[in-house]
Amino acid sequence: MIASAAAVVTALLLGAGLTWAVERLFARSGWDAGPTRGAELRGGLDLPNADRWLLPAGPVVALAGVALATVVVPFGPGLIGRDLGIGLFYVIVVVDFVVLGLALAGWGANTPDSVEAFYRIVAQLVAYVVPLGLAYVGVVMMARSLSTVTVVEAQRDLWFVVLQPLGFLLYLVTGLMQSYRAPFLEPFADSIGGGVLGVTGGWSALLWRVALAGVLFVVAAIGAVLYLGGPSGSWLPGWAWMLAKTYALMALMLGLGRCVRPLSTAGMLALSWKVLIPAGLVNVLLVGGLILLGVGPRA
Amino acid sequence: MTAAFELTAFGVCASIAVAGALGMTTTMSMFRSGIFLMASFIGVAGLFILLSADLIGLLQVMMYIGGFLVMILFMVLVMHDPGGAMMAGMDMAPLERWSSLGLVPRQPSEAGQDGHRQGEAGDQATATGHGGHAEPDEPRQGSEAHGEQAPAHDGAANAMPHEAHGGHGEHAARQHGHASHEHEHGGGHGGMDMGEMDMSMVTPVRPLAAWLALGVGIVLVGMLVLRPAWSVSDALPDPDSARRVGHLLMDKYMVAFEGAGFLILIGVFGAVLLARPSAYPDDASRGARVAVDAKPEPIRGDRLAPQAGADRTAGHASGHDTHHQHGGDAG
Repeated sequence: MIASAAAVVTALLLGAGLTWAVERLFARSGWDAGPTRGAELRGGLDLPNADRWLLPAGPVVALAGVALATVVVPFGPGLIGRDLGIGLFYVIVVVDFVVLGLALAGWGANTPDSVEAFYRIVAQLVAYVVPLGLAYVGVVMMARSLSTVTVVEAQRDLWFVVLQPLGFLLYLVTGLMQSYRAPFLEPFADSIGGGVLGVTGGWSALLWRVALAGVLFVVAAIGAVLYLGGPSGSWLPGWAWMLAKTYALMALMLGLGRCVRPLSTAGMLALSWKVLIPAGLVNVLLVGGLILLGVGPRA
Repeated sequence: MTAAFELTAFGVCASIAVAGALGMTTTMSMFRSGIFLMASFIGVAGLFILLSADLIGLLQVMMYIGGFLVMILFMVLVMHDPGGAMMAGMDMAPLERWSSLGLVPRQPSEAGQDGHRQGEAGDQATATGHGGHAEPDEPRQGSEAHGEQAPAHDGAANAMPHEAHGGHGEHAARQHGHASHEHEHGGGHGGMDMGEMDMSMVTPVRPLAAWLALGVGIVLVGMLVLRPAWSVSDALPDPDSARRVGHLLMDKYMVAFEGAGFLILIGVFGAVLLARPSAYPDDASRGARVAVDAKPEPIRGDRLAPQAGADRTAGHASGHDTHHQHGGDAG
């Protein structure tokens, strides 16, 4: 148990570090850096009105959520922290702890910018949580299981991205929302001084960096599991496939996200309710039709 | 899972649940109150997971994180002192002090010197007793009756944030000091500083409620302990409880489940109806920064008369100018 916990944390740290490197490729000067903006790692900030418990609790809660989510990500055949029966639902739930951590730190820092960031974070949660669930549902219907390992096995013959392209697009958009990357970086925008990241320093800035890179890593890894067959593939070992798919998906998301103008929180909510949720419902209908027609993995 | 691990996990989850509930009722910060309640429910979710009901436990976590954050947001919107900075400097019972640890009372000197800037987080601009020192001979006009203490204090507390918004930190401090003197006089705490005010006066029924809750808890636990026979079953819980729950929802309880979904759908329709864009021309106010205590940009062509009297930004030339300029546009 301790060994697998250590392996999970190592995977998370390596993944977050590599994610940080990938993100640097998509950085341009003049663009809003969002969650990747530089934070002062050496010294702490003096915030006279900060809540001295909630502010340091934020990054710890967020990092714990990301680490818990990494547990069910299958990095290869047998390379998984724990194959939970409700693994995918578990991922949706524990990634919410990142939102909680950002909310705690945003409110706890008690500066106008960080409190504004707290409001935007909660609004963004409201925007993405329903379409995110709908993006998972299509896959769960075809694989007939919530376990990540079973979902990977169900894509032995054909990846779900071929069968459910609409669901894949939905996942790309909601995944960007969930990881606060462009064009959905409103809570970390330069106009509010980077939000929570603008009021951190020292160890908490480091934890935020790992947590925010880790959340993108987890989102991309789960996307690879859901739609790209996870660690399955020929010639190469499973972990190599998994990493290649994860980082390819991440690069696709970051690159596509930079092609669009950043959306405000209100724009995100409008997008979510007017486009993403109807698209998700249509996707569920299409997948149900495919299952009735007998397309998809055999039980 | 060994018995020792189970016992430890039960102890941890149960104490999180109980401590969260206690913290919820005793902290001075309403934001923390919500977070404590969330922690309490997450502890209960841990108990569900220990009972092999992992789906129910995770549902509980998901509902309460998302739901409580939104609830806290609405609470912050309508409350005067959601961060508890106003009350943090007051005297508290040990439990209250514990669950309010780390709350920083706003220093009155800052509020006085740079009132407008500090007003950005205005409702937290607080006066921790300096007001009381400044005017020690304030005439005490407080009511003698016990029953009127709480309303008097409430009124003062309500009045204070508005003053603080205006950038008159000193004035707010004086008001608060005055309020505290009234309070002390009525409560028989004469001669004490405001910093040592008895917080239980703010909610006078709380001791009663605490004893009632303790009594009910003891009765419930007693009924559980003294129950004559616990039937012990050898059946193992179903590891795939998600499938069982799904079958029950789609089979036995389908009408109730779909009915609840239908009600929520009607609720969504109602919300959309209320928020339809033609009713409130709010596009211009989308850019307003909520946390900053600046006057929001007036909406062009809203046909409202310019606000009468000296509003709180009237002293600042820029705010004044833009206000009238937009007023001219509207007219």
